[in-house]
Amino acid sequence: MPDSLKTLVRSPQGVVGGGLCLLAIVLVVLGPWLAPFEPNALSFTARYQPPGPMHWFGTDQMGRDVLSRVMIGARDTIVMSLLATAIAMVLGAVIGTLSAYLGGWVDEAIMRTMDAIMAIPSLLFALLIVATLGKSDVNAVAAIAIAFTPGMVRVARSVALAVRTQDYVSAAIVRGESTSHIVVREMLPNIVAPVIVEGTVRVAFAVMLFATLSFLGLGAQPPSSEWGLMVSEARSHLFTAPWMMIMPGLCIALVAIGFNLLGDGLRDALNPRSRT
Amino acid sequence: MNDALLRIDDYSLSYTTAHGSLPVLDGVTLSVAPGEVVGVVGESGSGKTSLAWAIMRYLAGNAIEHGGSIQLQGEELTTLKAARLRALRGGRLGMVFQDPSAALNPTLTLGSQMLEMLTRHRGVSRGEARRIAIETLGDVDLKNPESMLARYPHELSGGEKQRALIAGAFACRPACLIFDEPTTALDVINAAQVLELFGRLREETGVAALYISHDLALVSRIADHVCVLEKGRIVERAPGRKIFAAPDHPYTQSLVAAVPNPRRRLVAESEIAAHANARERPPLLTLRGISVDYGQRTTLARWLKRPDPRFRALNPFDLEIAHGEIVGVVGESGSGKSTLAKALTGLVNHRGEILLDGEAVSSTPRGRADYRRRVQLVFQHPDGSLNPRQRIGELIGRSYRLYGLPEGETLSQAVARSLEEVRLDPTLASRYPHELSGGQKQRVAIARAFAARPDVVICDEITAALDVSVQATVIALLLDLRRRHGTAYLFITHDINLIQQIAHRVAVMYRGDRVELSSAEELADGPKHAYTRALLAATPTIASSARVIDDEFSAPTMDQE
Repeated sequence: MPDSLKTLVRSPQGVVGGGLCLLAIVLVVLGPWLAPFEPNALSFTARYQPPGPMHWFGTDQMGRDVLSRVMIGARDTIVMSLLATAIAMVLGAVIGTLSAYLGGWVDEAIMRTMDAIMAIPSLLFALLIVATLGKSDVNAVAAIAIAFTPGMVRVARSVALAVRTQDYVSAAIVRGESTSHIVVREMLPNIVAPVIVEGTVRVAFAVMLFATLSFLGLGAQPPSSEWGLMVSEARSHLFTAPWMMIMPGLCIALVAIGFNLLGDGLRDALNPRSRT
Repeated sequence: MNDALLRIDDYSLSYTTAHGSLPVLDGVTLSVAPGEVVGVVGESGSGKTSLAWAIMRYLAGNAIEHGGSIQLQGEELTTLKAARLRALRGGRLGMVFQDPSAALNPTLTLGSQMLEMLTRHRGVSRGEARRIAIETLGDVDLKNPESMLARYPHELSGGEKQRALIAGAFACRPACLIFDEPTTALDVINAAQVLELFGRLREETGVAALYISHDLALVSRIADHVCVLEKGRIVERAPGRKIFAAPDHPYTQSLVAAVPNPRRRLVAESEIAAHANARERPPLLTLRGISVDYGQRTTLARWLKRPDPRFRALNPFDLEIAHGEIVGVVGESGSGKSTLAKALTGLVNHRGEILLDGEAVSSTPRGRADYRRRVQLVFQHPDGSLNPRQRIGELIGRSYRLYGLPEGETLSQAVARSLEEVRLDPTLASRYPHELSGGQKQRVAIARAFAARPDVVICDEITAALDVSVQATVIALLLDLRRRHGTAYLFITHDINLIQQIAHRVAVMYRGDRVELSSAEELADGPKHAYTRALLAATPTIASSARVIDDEFSAPTMDQE
């Protein structure tokens, strides 16, 4: 692992992506302490102030400091996206490996179900789930996780199919190991690398999808400062105070790009598996 | 030595890796005279393939040359310009590779690949090239050379592909040809035909050749001079026949001693007598009419009258294995020998029945578990059969967890004892498989099988991926374990020399059929079936090449254990 980390740091995508993701994590962990203002403190005198030395990102229609709101909102946006992707990753890896291991009609049934889910656009699918379960951020996480699982299953299955033909799996079958042991202990550790790469790229999509859901009013609810929600609220002030929309939008883009680049870097770093 | 065609003088090469510089070739000096065949023999990692690439001037990006010269017909190759090199490669200097299917482009017909080669290097028109191609293909005994040109590589067998490649290499009228293990990927009988062809073409054309191989017996058959390469250094050079009869260097001696010699039995004859007594007991394992079909025919396919895709990989097979007996199963690829191992261990479905100690294996979970413990399988490639993400201790410990620990031992003690039993350092338990050498990994796989305290161990080509010297130590280890535990072996291999050394009885397989089942003595006296005779005739042995000069040189002491 240290070897692939070295390779990651050496590639330009790895450095930029890693840097942006590190910045995002700092915001998530230390946001509330770093924020110069109380995010929900109203100030009647400081409404619609453009970015300046006092308010770096400007203020909104209620005089709240946009920078502070973005810093606090990072926690909602990024943690939720990571959580949704992580759930999809674990589900996808297990289902995909199991499907590849069992093969035959079980594999066929699982994969065709996944195809059916994939056929529905992920945003539409997430909307459907949130509409049925009711709007809240937890439901939004569940919706994104379920929408992302089929993609993960496919990636995991394709790698697991190659692992399935390896002799160590045959050896485990000959020894009389249980299915759960073979899937979890023998196969899963050998497919994590590509699944992690896929997961990192997916985080970027999750950030955007989550922001979209919030923008549509189905994710985080006011007065939360989730970035998608901030963009949504700023929409009606687009012409008077464009910074209200540009700043959180820029953050969404940066985090998405960061995770995307990190995923690219990881793909290169983890690909030639035995660099030793 | 000035008339040498190919001269390599004090040539050194190293690769830069993440862990520093890795020397590959160290002061190699050799020369090939016109019309001469020089063999280069070495084990994996000896640098023999790097030598071939160095001559072809096609080195990896991290290769660094440390002086020395390579000359072809007096022309220095190490400083040659790219354009001159292209004319040289395939033209004056040809190469034949190990794997013929990788050397041919799968998307182009054989004809287009041969014509391109001929028009480039012989400077002839396409029509003329076509005529030459047909002529040379006919010359290497390929049937219907005209239609052969229109075929794609996948429509040819491995032997046909290699013959076509050799024909192409010779057709360009090279001054010197480099052969890099050209028969390793082929079956024994195919390999013998390719070698015969090589000999005939060489006599006709008088081309000099550098023949690289790990197979000493084979090289001793065809090479005029042999260089033995050890870790990038030539440790011995001698005339082909002499080097195996009377090797000078200790490394060569150890190599020669490690080559399986069918005349030197490694199992004492008295043991065979003892096992005859054991015949009174019911046989340990009885196979009755075991047969395996691959593929399946669905009802839909039957309705649509599609052709039946099923094919029989193994015809009904009967065999009895006594306690402590070593039964060899020998055959070429596709003979069904690995299918037999898979059927016995439950990896593929089979018909027929398996009896353990004279009783049918019960289908209850308990009965299956008991059978699985007593019948263990060791795979061909330890890289594949050992999970790369698990430590050695976990890998061996798994057997103890499944089948129970011996009394009065903790898991780590049992693992340490297992490792010692296969003569490995117990501290290796905390390592991962990729930190071990090929031979060590195979020992771990053997230790894992023996941790189950089995009655019979199925060895599926377990030494095929190993160097000869490592193979000899693994075989010695297996025999030692058998002496200690009384384990029976079903030893599956393509190497008939090796099996004659260790097996009590040998089953010869051909296209899914068992064509012969003979005791080792019967096989030595003369095989019954024509196929076995062909197989024996095609297999090069050191004995057969050394026999001629046995009187001139005293045979070296070959102590196996």
